[in-house]
Amino acid sequence: MKPARTAAVAIAALAALGLGVLAASRWYAPAPGPQVASGTMLRAPRAVAAFQLTDHDGRPYTNAQLEGHWTLLFAGFTHCPDVCPTTLGVMKQLSQRLATPAALHYVFLSVDPERDTPAQLKNYVTYFSPAIRGVTGPREQLDALCASLGLAYLKIPGASDSDYTVDHSAALVLLDRRGRVAGYFQPPHKLDTLAADLAGIVASGT
Amino acid sequence: MKTLVAIAAVLASTGAAACPDLAVEQAWIREAPPGAMAAAYGKLVNRGKRALIVDGARSADFGGAGLHRTETDDNGISRMREAQLELAPGASALLEPGGWHLMLFDPARLLKAGDSVSLTLTCGKSARAFPFIVKATE
Repeated sequence: MKPARTAAVAIAALAALGLGVLAASRWYAPAPGPQVASGTMLRAPRAVAAFQLTDHDGRPYTNAQLEGHWTLLFAGFTHCPDVCPTTLGVMKQLSQRLATPAALHYVFLSVDPERDTPAQLKNYVTYFSPAIRGVTGPREQLDALCASLGLAYLKIPGASDSDYTVDHSAALVLLDRRGRVAGYFQPPHKLDTLAADLAGIVASGT
Repeated sequence: MKTLVAIAAVLASTGAAACPDLAVEQAWIREAPPGAMAAAYGKLVNRGKRALIVDGARSADFGGAGLHRTETDDNGISRMREAQLELAPGASALLEPGGWHLMLFDPARLLKAGDSVSLTLTCGKSARAFPFIVKATE
């Protein structure tokens, strides 16, 4: 290898190392945002890839609808008798306690679009609270959004084509005002702690 | 001899699944959105002297019912499966949100908080009905 080229490679290697150290220091530095007791906040918020879904009133639901406010999102399906009503009950109580409808939005993302029509979703989520918005859409769009959010789901066949269940992530996902993944809250949820954490986050202005 | 063996087998199966010895304490159903699935909870107690296996449920107020268990794995994935619950003599098991529950689907009428619903639990060929009270979502 010629000396000039060797130097160039060395400089590139040093630059890469420097970038790596910079990235690492950013990555491993203490979280600058609010500390939470009921969940895990990411050290650096993570962008959400472009998606196009529909809300329970038939309006478009895309990255744009995540901007300008915090969003608490739960993925599930309406043919779910235990975990989904439990979590939507938590959202209902949070919306009553925090009373900050403009600053924190609540979303129930159905990963079962075959059975959960917008009308069915609306009937289901508004039973719990008018503050909750049902969202669903084409399978590939749901898959893309779930991948971005770090959520997983899997359809489990039952006795017939319409009788199946869905395994799904049970976490609440928190998105920041720029529509990026900010943190996760795993069940079982302790309402007092969760409400206090979210109140702190929403008030923090970050 | 064949008849005797058959009778003994029947006795053994009903004896091991003595639903009359089953009790349900704090039995409640969570009120659900209109037409949606619901879940029933409570504490199942075996007051008998033999082990019993609760393996299902039915109700005139629902098109179908079953005993299910929700489990959440290390990756935070929640799974719900049909399951059987074995209770040793004197043992009890708690059916509660996020765990064991009676899944109720295709409601025949709109159930509101305060309503009473009869659910029949089955232990093999044996069965026993219990009253469950509908409670509002918290």
